[in-house]
Amino acid sequence: MEDNHKESFKIHSPEFNHLNRGIDRRNFLTKTSLGLGALALGSLMGNNLFGKLPGKEVGKSPAPTLEDEILRAIPHFAPKAKRVVYLFMAGGPSQFETFDYKPKLSTMFGQPLPESVRQGQRLTSMSANQSILPIAPSAFKFNQFGESRTWISELLPHTAQVTDDLCIIKSIYSEAINHDPAITFFQTGTQLPGRPSIGSWISYGLGSDNKNLPAFIVLVSKNAVKDQPLYSRLWGNGFLPSEHQGVQFRSGKDAVLFLDNPEGYDGKDRKEMLAYLSKLNKLQNEPYGDPEVQARIAQYEMAFRMQTSVPEVMDTSSETSEVFDLYGPDSRDPGTFAANCLLARKLLEKDVKFIQLYHQGWDHHGGLPKGIVRQCKDTDQATAALIKDLKRRGLLEETLVIWGGEFGRTVYSQGKLQTDDYGRDHHPRCFTMWMAGAGVKAGLSYGETDDFSYNVVKNPVHVHDFQATLMHIMGIDHERLTFKFQGRRFRLTDVKGNVVRDILA
Amino acid sequence: MSLLSINITEFAGRFHPVLVHLPVGILLLAALFIILSKFERFQSLREAITISLFLGALSAIASCVTGFLLSKTESYEPALLFKHQWFAVSTALISVVAFFLHLKNRRTEWIAGMIVILIMITGHLGGSITHGSDFLTKAFTSGTSKGGEAYGNPILNVQESHAFKDVIKPILDARCVACHGPNKQKGKVRLDEPEFILKGGENGLTIVPGKPMESMVIKRIILRKDNKDHMPPIEKPQLNAREIDLLSWWIASGVDFDRQVKDLEQNDKIKSILKSLESGKTTVVTVTSFLPEQNVEKASEAAIKKLHDRGVAIVPIAQNGNYLSANFVAVESFTGNDLQMLESVKKQLIWLNLGNLGLTDSNLEAIGKLFQLRMLHLQKTKIGDQGIKSLSNLSELQYLNLGATNVTVKGVEQLSGLKNLRQLFLYQTAISGDDLTKLKRLFPKTYIETGGFEVPKLDSDTTVLKAPVIK
Repeated sequence: MEDNHKESFKIHSPEFNHLNRGIDRRNFLTKTSLGLGALALGSLMGNNLFGKLPGKEVGKSPAPTLEDEILRAIPHFAPKAKRVVYLFMAGGPSQFETFDYKPKLSTMFGQPLPESVRQGQRLTSMSANQSILPIAPSAFKFNQFGESRTWISELLPHTAQVTDDLCIIKSIYSEAINHDPAITFFQTGTQLPGRPSIGSWISYGLGSDNKNLPAFIVLVSKNAVKDQPLYSRLWGNGFLPSEHQGVQFRSGKDAVLFLDNPEGYDGKDRKEMLAYLSKLNKLQNEPYGDPEVQARIAQYEMAFRMQTSVPEVMDTSSETSEVFDLYGPDSRDPGTFAANCLLARKLLEKDVKFIQLYHQGWDHHGGLPKGIVRQCKDTDQATAALIKDLKRRGLLEETLVIWGGEFGRTVYSQGKLQTDDYGRDHHPRCFTMWMAGAGVKAGLSYGETDDFSYNVVKNPVHVHDFQATLMHIMGIDHERLTFKFQGRRFRLTDVKGNVVRDILA
Repeated sequence: MSLLSINITEFAGRFHPVLVHLPVGILLLAALFIILSKFERFQSLREAITISLFLGALSAIASCVTGFLLSKTESYEPALLFKHQWFAVSTALISVVAFFLHLKNRRTEWIAGMIVILIMITGHLGGSITHGSDFLTKAFTSGTSKGGEAYGNPILNVQESHAFKDVIKPILDARCVACHGPNKQKGKVRLDEPEFILKGGENGLTIVPGKPMESMVIKRIILRKDNKDHMPPIEKPQLNAREIDLLSWWIASGVDFDRQVKDLEQNDKIKSILKSLESGKTTVVTVTSFLPEQNVEKASEAAIKKLHDRGVAIVPIAQNGNYLSANFVAVESFTGNDLQMLESVKKQLIWLNLGNLGLTDSNLEAIGKLFQLRMLHLQKTKIGDQGIKSLSNLSELQYLNLGATNVTVKGVEQLSGLKNLRQLFLYQTAISGDDLTKLKRLFPKTYIETGGFEVPKLDSDTTVLKAPVIK
């Protein structure tokens, strides 16, 4: 950046006189005791012990930290996918009405769930007190599609058309039984808030190919039923440097909040201003070495570049009507799931590493048949369109598409079971999600559940296993991407997680 | 206290492999001096005989002591060990005798000859213990050479063959038995005969029938190589994926020593691996590798920095390799000259993304020189048929994206020599209909993508919202 301010930095104001006198006593003590020690250590070990980082800026510190060492080893192996788009179906979509076909249930309408299946496993307090747990078969028909002859519900006619591109996992399971812990678990690897999201880990580990856009972008559907809240900490950076947090793009006038120049300011000297601000920040940071200052400098510069790159990528005027037709009528209305899928494709074309879409409204404790018809209508066509569009543009070869919620739903009806109306409670012990594209086997159904889709009977995949597999496809060994915080090294999969090699292409 | 003394004996014992070379060298030299000093010219060597015999005898005794200690801490083949031990003791004794005879000015030529013979026998026995008794002769027998496959010859009919004897034993023989067999039993484990395999070692069972993932042998084989418990030790030939799969399969199917392959349950993967044993080839289908098989020297840091400073995202493909990927997505005001920078990394560059840039035909010549390219994105650029000829030299190319460019069938035809091309993207180009059929014939192994999907309407289509139909 330009720098028209060559004179040395000094604040000419009486309040800052003590600053101008030099560093104060406390700072002096800290700096000399720690600084001399560090200096001695540095000369003992030799500044060139670790060599120089290729392509990565080390800043002014001569000895790379443990973090630098970890990052330099990435990618641990050649990545199959260069980008991820994760369609998060928040609320917990029912596996019974979508992918997990259970024909035997149709003869068991209203019968109580056998104790041999439940085996005393816990239920939520919403249905634990029900006098009977009546079996509710799917109200919707299933058909077989594709060369893989996969059973898919009639609610997903478009997804059914791309079934040979999907790798469906029917045996994923979680430990969390309520929304917030479950979704936090999926996104951060732990049920308690405060850890970095998957996208933040990926951004931290792999960086970005496109410096003009954030590596981790979040899109939330505006047209969904907002039955369960989404907190921005789900795409938070946790303890990782804050430039790795997900940046939410909104529909409407400002895609990214506070990105536009304020009224009455033409922005001509913005670059110069930022250059000087950056100089001030660096000056300030020299004695303190606070990584958050570095992060703030990076964010200012990113925001400046985004003033041009974001309007460019949000502009859909160059898309043909054939593309809008592919994604469905909603895609002309910015902020809908369909429009977000189209935007996701445009962001993928710009080499954004990790794009997370959220679509709420899958929490059908009651009125499931009506509710799920609407959910599927809002998402099915655009989801399939995204896969097709990526495929024909040659992007599916390098992009991993993921679809799934935070848990599944119970085989029994919550509340009264009627022929045309029923509900399903939370069920984390087995549910379905799918992946498609780079790195996974297309046309595969992996894992099996019992006839009640209550327990996994073959090839269970834990949330941590899913996360480990996702990292593996991106070229990262999930055990080796760690970050030391408060005396402990953390990783996305905590102390667990096995790569599901059977689904890797 | 006792723990400490055990450790000291073990520690001392470990010096044996170093010490043994001293008496071998010194005593052979002493013998040579004794013979040579008979000749007038080498009379002066007589002076050196005393000291060399003394040092030789001393180091021989030290070797005997350390060797004895080592034999107590590790388990070796008893018969070989017995012979080695007593030949070694004889060598030490006779060298002491030689020393005293020499001091008394007696004739020592005959004893020098004996020393030479004893050293050769003892040394050979010692070598057999550590390297295996067939170490010398192995060079003449083909098949199980270092790092090669466990199977010397293809199995004629694998389903009819013996599961243990024909399929599993060759793996164990090639990868394990050198240290866990008749000669050596590291960790008291033997993997050469059924009775020993089931018996286990000092850490308990090595194989749990039916449970490969609980069997120590599998656990240690798949352990990461930097773990000290990994087997085989990293400097030794490793099992390949196919051998690990077979071993796991055999353990999972219950560790049977008698039945034939066809009697054991097999999934598709195992079936295909077993089938491949018949042809002697690793895989039935030939797969073009995702990455080059040979590694390459490091690209110059200055060249990388130059690209980096220009805004090109240039990153290594993977750790432990020097191959690079370059992405121009964030390069501002791109010109053709920027491509000249790639020349200096042409040996390393295998993935290149130039999509969405103002690239023209004249720029493609520079790209044609990047002979290592596996993956090339040229979509949404201004290139046409003129420049595309330059790409016909990129013989390693597997993925080529020409979507939304001006290329026609005439241009693409020129690439028919690219035998490794697996995916070709021509979406939003003028190519369709007959042209496409022609290309598909010209590139029989290539997946050609032109888009143009249509979603057929289904009867059960619920995207037109209708009330749920309940049976």
